[in-house]
Amino acid sequence: MENLNFTLLFDPLGIFFILVILLISLPSAVYSLGYLKGEYSPAKITLGWFLLGFFILSMGLVVSVSNIFFFLIAWELMSLVSYFLVVFDTGHEKSIQAGTIYIVMTHLGSAFLVAAFMLLYQQAHSFDFTAIKNACLVMPGKTKNIIFLLLLVGFGTKAGIVPLHIWLPYAHPQAPSHISSIMSGVMIKTAIYGIIRFTIFILGVNSWWWGVLILVLATITCLVGVIYALMERDLKRLLAYSSVENIGMIFLGVGLTMLFISLKLPYLAVLALVAALYHLINHAIFKGLLFLCAGSLYKATGTRDIEKLGGLIKKMPQTAICFLLGAMAISALPPLNGFASEWLMLQAFFLGAFKLTGGMKLFLGICASMLALTSGLVAACFVKAFGITFLAQPRSHYAQEAKEAPLSMRAGMFFLAFLTVIFGIGACFIIKLLAKVASAAMNIDISGMNFALNNFTLGLKSGKEVYLSTPVIALLLIGLALAVFIVYRLFNRRKTSLYQTWDCGYYKITPRNEYTATAFSKPFRLAFSFFLLPYRKTQKIRESFYQVKSFAYETYTTPVFKKYVYQPLLAWVLGSAKFMRRIQPGSIHLYLAYIFFVLLLLIIFMPKF
Amino acid sequence: MQFIILFSLLISTYLMLIAKRTPALIRGFRYQSLCLFLVTFMVALGQSEPDLYIVAFFLFALKVIFIPQLLYRTSKKIKANEDLGLFINPQLSLLWALGFTYLSWKFSLNLISPGSEIKAIMLTIAFFTVLAGIFLMISRMTALAQIVGLLVMENGIFLLASSITGGMPFFVEIAIFFDVFVSVLIMGFFVYRINKFFTHIDVNKLSRLKG
Amino acid sequence: MKIVLILSQLVFFIILSPLLSGLISKIKNNLRMRRGQSILQPYYNLIKLFSKGQVVSQTTSWIFGITPVVVIASALAGSLLAPVFTFPTSMHLAGDFLALIFIFTLGRFFLSLAALDAGSSFGGMGSSREMFISSLVEPALCLTVFSLFLQFGSTDISSFNAVKTVSVSSIVGAIALFMVAIAETSRIPVDNQETHLELTMIHEAMTLEYSGRSLALIEMAAYIKQLIWFFLIAQIIFPMSVLNPSSLSGLFLWGFYYIIRILVIAVVMAVVEVSVAKMRLFRVTDFLGFVFVLGLIATICAILRV
Repeated sequence: MENLNFTLLFDPLGIFFILVILLISLPSAVYSLGYLKGEYSPAKITLGWFLLGFFILSMGLVVSVSNIFFFLIAWELMSLVSYFLVVFDTGHEKSIQAGTIYIVMTHLGSAFLVAAFMLLYQQAHSFDFTAIKNACLVMPGKTKNIIFLLLLVGFGTKAGIVPLHIWLPYAHPQAPSHISSIMSGVMIKTAIYGIIRFTIFILGVNSWWWGVLILVLATITCLVGVIYALMERDLKRLLAYSSVENIGMIFLGVGLTMLFISLKLPYLAVLALVAALYHLINHAIFKGLLFLCAGSLYKATGTRDIEKLGGLIKKMPQTAICFLLGAMAISALPPLNGFASEWLMLQAFFLGAFKLTGGMKLFLGICASMLALTSGLVAACFVKAFGITFLAQPRSHYAQEAKEAPLSMRAGMFFLAFLTVIFGIGACFIIKLLAKVASAAMNIDISGMNFALNNFTLGLKSGKEVYLSTPVIALLLIGLALAVFIVYRLFNRRKTSLYQTWDCGYYKITPRNEYTATAFSKPFRLAFSFFLLPYRKTQKIRESFYQVKSFAYETYTTPVFKKYVYQPLLAWVLGSAKFMRRIQPGSIHLYLAYIFFVLLLLIIFMPKF
Repeated sequence: MQFIILFSLLISTYLMLIAKRTPALIRGFRYQSLCLFLVTFMVALGQSEPDLYIVAFFLFALKVIFIPQLLYRTSKKIKANEDLGLFINPQLSLLWALGFTYLSWKFSLNLISPGSEIKAIMLTIAFFTVLAGIFLMISRMTALAQIVGLLVMENGIFLLASSITGGMPFFVEIAIFFDVFVSVLIMGFFVYRINKFFTHIDVNKLSRLKG
Repeated sequence: MKIVLILSQLVFFIILSPLLSGLISKIKNNLRMRRGQSILQPYYNLIKLFSKGQVVSQTTSWIFGITPVVVIASALAGSLLAPVFTFPTSMHLAGDFLALIFIFTLGRFFLSLAALDAGSSFGGMGSSREMFISSLVEPALCLTVFSLFLQFGSTDISSFNAVKTVSVSSIVGAIALFMVAIAETSRIPVDNQETHLELTMIHEAMTLEYSGRSLALIEMAAYIKQLIWFFLIAQIIFPMSVLNPSSLSGLFLWGFYYIIRILVIAVVMAVVEVSVAKMRLFRVTDFLGFVFVLGLIATICAILRV
């Protein structure tokens, strides 16, 4: 074995990811000052800080080592430390269960990664990235395909592609909120780093079906993620499923990049990778923000169930405005950052379709429309999340006694909210920087390419030009709003009277009359019932035939992947293990007899050896 | 002369295999160890190396005197019936033993070059002794039989080593002797404890502990 | 010069959009053999609403107050992107069709939030249904925009003036856009603008709590959105580039053509509204699926360059 030198590689792609890590970890760390304060003993809080530092360090190592051996070590370290952080709240049994599922799934992925790395080492006889990259230039196509599939499963488990995503809705809600924000914002992005580094940079994409496969998987991931998010009433599980969906969107960009590289379209490849990376950092920012807000809600009210909350915008105004900004960003509303990256991704699809032929055009068009569908569903989901949690009246005593979050928590949230606005309005600057990162990742020269008209307008050119200027849109919106507001104030100063909500003449309108989250998502539950397989149970308690005293209504959606993919697999594994147990009755004599008879057989047949 | 001793070793092994009660088994083991001692002593006389004398002496002390005494005492302390608990009745065991003998004869013919007949016979008997030891462990229920089977195996390995290679290095022999002694001590103690706890030493009933 | 253009476009939309709504109701009433309200009725409504006071619910928060401003700001911002006067459009550097769709989403997002803010079941219901329908409209709309993109070469609205002939793909695309406009502007068969029955209202349910100036602003925003959609559809089926005004009579012809194309679409919309009944909410999914298929056909036609 050659000597492994531990060198760190700081190329633009790695630096970009380190930036993402730091950008999310620092506000989360500040946030955890206030979050952990009342909850755990000081010794445990110190342990939490230690683990957090270790976690950030391990993620930084993953994106900066230049050696597959150390990459694996850093990867395993990251998984292990995050496991300890997920089960940090050891009081709850659900945390332990979530941790178990998480560690099993992540090690499954690591097994595939080890297999892929072993194949790479076998081809290149070296652990170093550059040596492997040179070896990959001459690798036979079949080996490349196998390595690609192994890497896809390995990194896909960590990223959360369907059907390997089931650990996400368990692990993210149970972890402490600042850890959830780092895990969801940054850790699953290291898997994207892995895919970009190993597939695009090292393996080199030569087959077009790689990109198509990733596009199909990513579309399915988007849709599955957002449909499950719509059905959730636990706020952090909703955010976890929404992370699955956004990972799908980032993979859409990565798949497009691979497709364009294999078809030798450099401008479009750079554009697609820029869109993917932009969405990556945007998602890190607004998902981190949303998880931090969810954490402050949990700390203030003691519950994550949005059906028990309501009216919090009056009790926690600053958290509310941060959550609103996060919700607006994730629903891709102009002029925030989600809008810019979503627009860029759609343009990547469209412009790409312009250059491709026939069936691929249609395929890209359908993928783009599925992307549009998910963005519409995400907007619905976050209207529900924000509306039911913060607006109207409190639905239970949990929400009635809520207090605003402490300053350190608010500081973290405000910083990220500020970033969403900055990354939206400054889209041009960011895209110029990202173009440099993308060109370094793919070794494509971008000196001739033009992504922006000037410092404020994005201009993409493939055929005809198309422009977007987020600062101008922001100015337009704010200017028009101000103008209207002034006219509004000037026009009529007659007084506004406060009264109750219109209740159709019903004299007693209570918080029970408000819409619930389950009710809000009912049209979606029915429209997507072919996938969700909901079932419901109603129960009427009658005093007499004409008088119903109470009515109980329960509805569940079937967890399709758990029930139809994982449980049969587990049942098969356990069943065959039980079958195998029959050769072990526990009798020593039988075990000795096994040894003896094998010995006899060897003696009898030994001359033949 | 050597042939006679080797064949009496063989006979003593057969005696062990058809034994129905614990004292008979231990007696058979004693005879076997005595024969082994005689073989070693004669080889020592022939080669006149002091090492082999010491080894032979140890063999006599441990395996002819101490260990059978220990085993007797353990079986007395147990106070249970001295029934060995046979899975395979004595007649069938004898048939199996004859089969094993034939098998080892064929095996050793493959290994030894034609010329040294005595070596072939020694190898056969040694190998057969090992097989008989495992067979004892499989086909007898009690824990004492397992111990004796282990000791018989050890005898067989000793014979194997001394017949083929002219004896193992001195220190290895001494070490093995001490190991065997200590392990028999421990195992005897444990058999006593097992009996105290379970009121029997039927190893087959251990499978009830299976989870 | 640019400022003048922008301001005139804004004024144009603010002043003329209620007229379109009044026109459509007049045509509908004529088809129903009634005299009905006058064409200028929406103006009278707006003036009345502006002059009245407001009643605001106690359970609402600042979101309720800010929503009318956001909604009309988004509608006006969208109007600056619409193909009204010149090509390239005045703000073509700011955004394209996709940006327009997202700007509309902004208005809809806040309106849904405001509906939930009031804390009544009407608002929640309207909000839930509105988000449901709008999210199902998105894929159909995106595919239609895609087919337009394949034909015109860019999603920039200024490029819709590029082709001088109308192909099968653009006709099918325009029909799909028309059906999307039915959904977006809350017309029968998706939603009824004239009803206040809780089982049948979607957009009306969201604006139920509003009164006075706020309601006037939201209504105005709805009119402006409607006019934007009409302009978009008209530009695709009846592109302005077919005519090139060179003389005075040519200018008259140009102006006549400009107005007539909007009127044609208004008449078709009115006929559709009168002839079909409002659909059940879960039939709307089938309707929108049909629009998706239309978009697919338009895409295939655009690929085959038909």
